[in-house]
Amino acid sequence: MTKTKAEKPALTEEEKKLAERKKNLRKARFNRYKAWLYLSPAIILLLIFTVWPIFNTIRLSLLTDFNYLGELRGKTFEFGFDNFVNVAQYSGFLTCLGNTMLLTVITVPVSTMLALIVAVALNSIKFLKRAFQTIFFLPYVTNAIAIGMVFMTMFQMIGDAPNYSSIGIINTIIEAFGGTRINWVNPGSNYWANIAVLAIYIVWNALPFKILVLLGGLQGVNKQYYEAAKVDGASRMRIFWRITVPMLSPMIAYVVITGFIGGFKEYSSIVGIFGDEMGPVGAPRSLNTMVGFIYASITENNQGRASAAALILFAIIFVVTMINLYVSKKKVHY
Amino acid sequence: MQNTVEKDQAVSAPQEDVMQKSMKEKNIKSVSIRQKVVKALVQILLYAFLTIMAISILFPFYWMLISSLKTLNEYNETIPTLWPRQFHWENYVTAFTGDLDLGRLFLNTCIVGIVSTILSLVVTVLSAFAFARLDFKGKNALFAALLATMMIPGELFTITNYITVSSLGWLNTFTVLIVPFLVSVFYIYLLRQNFLQIPNELYLAAKVDGTSDLKYLWKVMVPLAAPTLVSITILKMMGAWNSYIWPRLVANDAAHKLVTVGLRGASFVDLATNMVNYPAQMAAVVIVTIPLLLVFIFFRKYIMRGVSRSGLKG
Amino acid sequence: MKKRMGAVMLAGLMACTMAAGLTGCGMNVKPDFEMPEGGFDTSKEVTINFYHTMGATGTRSLQAVLNDYIAEFNKIYPNIKVVHEQTGGYDDVRDQIQTEIVAGNQPNLAYCYPDHVALYNDGYAVQSLNDFLPGGAYSNEKVTLADGTQVPLALTEEEKNNFIPGYYEEGYKFDDESKMYTLPFSKSTEVLYYNKTEFEKNGWKVPTTWDEMETVCAQIQAAYPDVKNPDGTVKEHVYGFGYDSEANWFITMCEQYGSGYTSALGDHYLFDNQTNRGFVQKFAEWYNKGYFTTQAIYKTYTSGLFVATSGNRAMMCIGSSAGASHQLPDKVDGKYPFEVGIAPIPQQNPDKPKVISQGPSVCIFKNEDPQEVLASWLFLKFLTTNVGFQAEFSSASGYIPVLKEDVMRTNEVFAQTLDDANGYEGLMALSTKVALEQENSYYTSPAFVGSSKARDEVGLLMQAVFTGTKTLDKAFSDAISECEYFTT
Repeated sequence: MTKTKAEKPALTEEEKKLAERKKNLRKARFNRYKAWLYLSPAIILLLIFTVWPIFNTIRLSLLTDFNYLGELRGKTFEFGFDNFVNVAQYSGFLTCLGNTMLLTVITVPVSTMLALIVAVALNSIKFLKRAFQTIFFLPYVTNAIAIGMVFMTMFQMIGDAPNYSSIGIINTIIEAFGGTRINWVNPGSNYWANIAVLAIYIVWNALPFKILVLLGGLQGVNKQYYEAAKVDGASRMRIFWRITVPMLSPMIAYVVITGFIGGFKEYSSIVGIFGDEMGPVGAPRSLNTMVGFIYASITENNQGRASAAALILFAIIFVVTMINLYVSKKKVHY
Repeated sequence: MQNTVEKDQAVSAPQEDVMQKSMKEKNIKSVSIRQKVVKALVQILLYAFLTIMAISILFPFYWMLISSLKTLNEYNETIPTLWPRQFHWENYVTAFTGDLDLGRLFLNTCIVGIVSTILSLVVTVLSAFAFARLDFKGKNALFAALLATMMIPGELFTITNYITVSSLGWLNTFTVLIVPFLVSVFYIYLLRQNFLQIPNELYLAAKVDGTSDLKYLWKVMVPLAAPTLVSITILKMMGAWNSYIWPRLVANDAAHKLVTVGLRGASFVDLATNMVNYPAQMAAVVIVTIPLLLVFIFFRKYIMRGVSRSGLKG
Repeated sequence: MKKRMGAVMLAGLMACTMAAGLTGCGMNVKPDFEMPEGGFDTSKEVTINFYHTMGATGTRSLQAVLNDYIAEFNKIYPNIKVVHEQTGGYDDVRDQIQTEIVAGNQPNLAYCYPDHVALYNDGYAVQSLNDFLPGGAYSNEKVTLADGTQVPLALTEEEKNNFIPGYYEEGYKFDDESKMYTLPFSKSTEVLYYNKTEFEKNGWKVPTTWDEMETVCAQIQAAYPDVKNPDGTVKEHVYGFGYDSEANWFITMCEQYGSGYTSALGDHYLFDNQTNRGFVQKFAEWYNKGYFTTQAIYKTYTSGLFVATSGNRAMMCIGSSAGASHQLPDKVDGKYPFEVGIAPIPQQNPDKPKVISQGPSVCIFKNEDPQEVLASWLFLKFLTTNVGFQAEFSSASGYIPVLKEDVMRTNEVFAQTLDDANGYEGLMALSTKVALEQENSYYTSPAFVGSSKARDEVGLLMQAVFTGTKTLDKAFSDAISECEYFTT
């Protein structure tokens, strides 16, 4: 560098080229630096709030009963797998795991099936199609907690248990069709009744996204497949199973996978209906989920167990997603 | 996925011509009355099914609206009325004046929503630009690493983040509601894809003209990517409006509480009768729901675009 | 020579020589608080922070009362600046302080419940008050005011004896039972509100025991059978009583029976025993007969049922003495539909009555600046021993003063209020009066990390058995395992 500067007055052609190259190099260097400059806010935030947590959560999960207030006070925690053992042996955790699995296994197939039928139906009509499409999308733009509260008022019997003054709107409708009233959500209600209400709400909430994606897929399917099938005299059911479903399989796989991931993270809909107690009166926490368990552990000041639970949740989601991908690889027709 | 479908269509195109011809021939002759009847019946069934589904979807909205206009006495009646005897708008006043301080909740939510949206857009645009237009060592690896973090459930971050924000003394501040979620890898990805579609020649031309990167970004790329930016803005605002878990954990005081947390936490007890005032609760729910529906009506296209790619609510 | 000795030694020596007859004194007692040289400095400005939950609204807000007495306090100690803030509810105070302790910027004083103190003390953040009590290390220490007069720093024997014993003892309810951490600030308890008009009309006896409660509930049911709607729903059901807190009920029953609930030391959770199972079973039977409902089941305070005059209603309500204003029915045609009576809650053994002591105490946090600790102590002592403050605060809040009735009656206005107590407008005073009359019945449960969990769980256990969600066995074993999961 100093050499070039010194010989500046007499630049040869060779040296000019060299200088040009250096300039370019500096520019390139600046560009590289510039890229990092532009990325820096994102990267700094991601390092603090995403990358560090990944490692730290693993660390915390291995420190028995870690709580950060204790750590700051200089408390030390034993290293080992006790958090995982304690959590896995705790009946409250198993309840959460069971509820999460159950709700996912019920709602994902039901909502996917319903969404598929609605999408196919929407795709076969012209009049009022857009109006229907708009209506079916409405649940998406709602607040899960707020509308959960509406579902609660629909299912609940009114008055103080067990001396209700009214059986509520849903029970009134059920009785109008000759059914019998059910204690859905009130004190002393049955677990399965609670699950049914949750499943109905979750499906209601999950339909718009699935319909949107599946309808988008259907509109991409070439109409002539159907016409060809009709010519062959294939029945509608046959067409549905033999053409629609295979052609839509990538979209179906997509909504099923996202559905499973969302299902394992279910939480807000339960808070919406049952509140922070995560269950009806007399059985709080009976409907709690994995996510609810993790949050409760954080606030109960046991971040060690919370971390263990979060890692278990991650492992479950990971495995289920892998299974889904494996299955769809075999079944999906591209 | 979109591409594969298109490819399929392309492959099958030659066969279709043949099929179409033979089909037309057949059709002309054999459109029987019976087929027409079946078709009409199917259409009726389809409409019937869609109508039933639409009613099921709409019923909660209807129930919320009519309940919000009843008196507590009418709401408690043995046989629920399907239309309020008289509209009682005072429930909406109660919603604003009761133990739920809706005005304050709205203000808090707007502050968080607007500030976090603006900051998030800045961060997202800069990052997406770097990934789409600039060359640097390790770009692809970094981008892949970012995408990989999307696989991990947010709960895994929350625990450490809770500790981080607590030790920073951020509990019960707006900062805690804004900063930890400023960067969304998904939005960076979305915008990067959009930026990539803008021809590189524009950028090179701008370079020759001596336009600075930031100016080019602001004058050319941002306007071209406006639809995606609008989608991001709306999803981000909806996120602030609907967020519950994190705010419930870290900002539970009146000065920073967000609308969903406030709504769920309020007891809606009627002070006169000491009973839960469900009509007032439903009025509050309506007030919380309406802005979202309005946004949907005006920005339907952008929302649906963003949604179909995200797969995640809010 | 004395001057050369450290103030600590001096005070310690003086305490030992002069208060030799008092308990707990000897050379081996090391003070928890290190007295700065010269004691409390009244010439230097000192600022103390106080977190509480007092509201600032209403005709006579609690904060207004507090501000008035801070002004009074400043007449004596002009150099102490008291900064106070409402930090939300009790849980918010707890959560905020918990994080502030870690950062070292906790306030000087705060409203607290015993379990909060147990939590703070996990970080050794709370100042023990022993040194400032009669017989404590500094019991003879004096503060020299600006005008040269000397006032005692510590609580005097007389001041101590003015406290209602059950309230005062709460300060000792921690794992180390020799240490006192809090002074009672203002208290509440549970009382039985009853519909005096109906009771007199029907000749029912106000229950003093749970057996009498069962009898009167049966009588109420006989007098007011259910009225049904055509579809089988209930148009009108009259409960014997509403109980506002299942947890209080359980814990109070444990105290009344003398059966175990919790212990601050060793095996914390003692509540799963035959006696407790027995009373839960009995109450579940009462619930099934429609004798009562509770807050969790009714979804809000059962005073709503008590003040109702049609539809579902209750003839009695066991609720907080501080909630009296909610137990007064609305006037109909300018007249109260019924008169409200207040009595102590029913007992298992009337000879050994037990009622819960609730409501805020105040603790002082350790601080690097000993002047701040001393200033906080002086302020706390001032508020809790000042009859005027206790009287005004009680009248404004409905809470019970922490001083005995005869002490409180030295305040003429307050004495008049008590004398004017009645079952209508004077209901708040009536509840305070009934509460003060039970000065020897108060108990508090031990506080430890996890004691609030036990409290939550026994409440939930009652709800689960009442509503039939769980069997007795399952409810008890679940509650125990929940508690244990959180403390292992």
